[in-house]
Amino acid sequence: MSERVFSVILLPTSDCNVACEYCFEHKEPLRLSLVLVPLLTRRLLDHIENEHIEECEIYWQGGEVMIMGPAWFEKAGEIMDRAAAERGRRFVHYLQTNLIGYSPAWNGVIRGMFNGSLGTSMDYPNIHRKLFNGSAAAYTELWSRKLHEAKAAGIALGVIAVLHKGSLEVGPERFYRYFTEELGLSDFQVNTPFPGGPAKEVEGGFQLDSSELAEFMVGLFDIWMAEGYSSGVSVGPFNALIDHFTGEQARLPCIWKENCSNQFISVDAKGSVAQCDCWVTSYPEYFFGNMFRDPNLTGMLKTSRARRDFIERPKRLMEDEDCLSCRYLSICHGGCPVRTYSALGTMMAKDPYCEVYKAVFACAEAHAGEILRARAAPIISLRERHKAVGSCVVA
Amino acid sequence: MPEEADPLIRILPSALAETQGDGPFVAIVRSREELCRWLSNPLPGLRWLQVEGMLGDQEAWTEAAHSDSNIPLDVVLSNPASEFSHLYRLVDACAVHAIRVTMPAAPGLTKAIRLAAALRLPVRVLPGQPSAAALSELHDALQFYLHEPMVDAPVEFFHSVLASICDWDAGSLWTILEEDPDAFRHYDADGRPKLPRTSDPDQSEITAAGFAENHLSHLIAQGAECATCPWQRPCSGYFKWPDPAYSCEGVKLLFFNIQTAANEIRQDLASVATADTGILSEPREAAR
Repeated sequence: MSERVFSVILLPTSDCNVACEYCFEHKEPLRLSLVLVPLLTRRLLDHIENEHIEECEIYWQGGEVMIMGPAWFEKAGEIMDRAAAERGRRFVHYLQTNLIGYSPAWNGVIRGMFNGSLGTSMDYPNIHRKLFNGSAAAYTELWSRKLHEAKAAGIALGVIAVLHKGSLEVGPERFYRYFTEELGLSDFQVNTPFPGGPAKEVEGGFQLDSSELAEFMVGLFDIWMAEGYSSGVSVGPFNALIDHFTGEQARLPCIWKENCSNQFISVDAKGSVAQCDCWVTSYPEYFFGNMFRDPNLTGMLKTSRARRDFIERPKRLMEDEDCLSCRYLSICHGGCPVRTYSALGTMMAKDPYCEVYKAVFACAEAHAGEILRARAAPIISLRERHKAVGSCVVA
Repeated sequence: MPEEADPLIRILPSALAETQGDGPFVAIVRSREELCRWLSNPLPGLRWLQVEGMLGDQEAWTEAAHSDSNIPLDVVLSNPASEFSHLYRLVDACAVHAIRVTMPAAPGLTKAIRLAAALRLPVRVLPGQPSAAALSELHDALQFYLHEPMVDAPVEFFHSVLASICDWDAGSLWTILEEDPDAFRHYDADGRPKLPRTSDPDQSEITAAGFAENHLSHLIAQGAECATCPWQRPCSGYFKWPDPAYSCEGVKLLFFNIQTAANEIRQDLASVATADTGILSEPREAAR
């Protein structure tokens, strides 16, 4: 059995209960019917069997997943897990939600199906996340209340923050303190923004200046290293980079994989299959096929012309871009196809955030060097003391 | 590639390999059909597959990634300059098979080594008797291997020569590069044993034991520069084959650079050893 992990970003609905300004998803009031879950499950199990993979990670997100309700998840999880067990396979479920629809009624399914944890998202300052009939401030107030309720119920929470111009203006220190002190979180992740949506309708406002973004990221990295690293605060992707540069096993984010095409797919409520949630919600020209129409997912992935671009991309970057001479090639491989496509209208170029990534990698490398030196310090210290004793004796 | 010393590994074309018994052998495959056949039905003595001329075949690598067998693969690039970017095709198969890439010292070598290192693939460079252009590539590749902190998979022959010079006996280039007929016997399509890098061998040379030793002795007897060469042990006349008149000036600089790196490693190890001695003896020192 292969040790490879296969992940599916599963969108049971593209409907949403909030009105975030920067959302690029095409919202439809469509929901995945429970009647289709056994078919979806069979297709996925057939595929991981073909691939000799034992475990499949399911990342449930939307739209907004909590629109489906806890009873729907209980039933869907039961159908999927039972079918997997019958075939000697396993699904591991993760939940990514905006938390707005959270109530104690979810606690049972979160503990049972999602191992007592969930992922949510919030920005600082929150300017763009809004309720349908409310301000960003009202969204923040409601979300914070739900966050504290979930924490009080013993649920482990990780938060994704998307950076925007306002984040850069308040600076990394206030940003860090908001998540760690004001919200009391010990696990959050920062994502770089991208305009999303049709490639010709670029929303330039969400494209940040690379040097300003790099400065912010490095500043945040420094604060986390000084205050959070040794006290158990996890900030992604910095923690994975520190693992990498200190020689530990690291799970780097998907944007820096050798080739994301072999790692995961995304499936929406209509059965559309694409590379990830960003593609399945925004770029129908890059759909690989349809899970409910094509009986063979493995065959679909092998023969899809759209998917071939993803497979060919890193090869093309090595030939056409300067990635090969970059000292960080082994942990970047040209970056994220969707960030590139949404900014440039083609994925056959390196990630527009290249300079940001390089600054973050260099920062991680320097901090990891300090960690390794600190680990060796007891030996060096003893050696220095030995030398001192030796010179005293000689004297 | 072998993890333990074997008496003799036969390296032979796929069709001949299918007639092998349980003795250790390597099958050379040159088509998707041959690759898939060996992956689905590996014979007991098969040590690894030498895959030639197929790096660009995406379908072949998809098949390899889906195979039940985890037979190691040695993927040969014949033209690194045009093939290096195809190394990305191996990413999926790496999850199932141990994969090494082999390439000649030729233009594009450094690019291929850089990408292989980024994908954590071990590399075997077959230098042969390198031209001036190939030597330039080898020097660049050696600098990358020795000084680039992101490299964590071995690049042969640099890796084992460095080990050899550091007194970890890794054998000579003949064995490091799997060209010693006493350990790795290569066969042509007609099943005749052949010597490396020559098409018209004297068969008695191949079948007699001690080819590499005899070759070096012969060179020394003929007054070749090997007699006084400081890198005689790791080289053993490798670069004087098949043309004994080949000038080793360029390759000696390669060895010198490896030697310099080995000296630095020795100094570092000695300083650590001193520190360890200090730590171990400190209670006594402190009590004095």
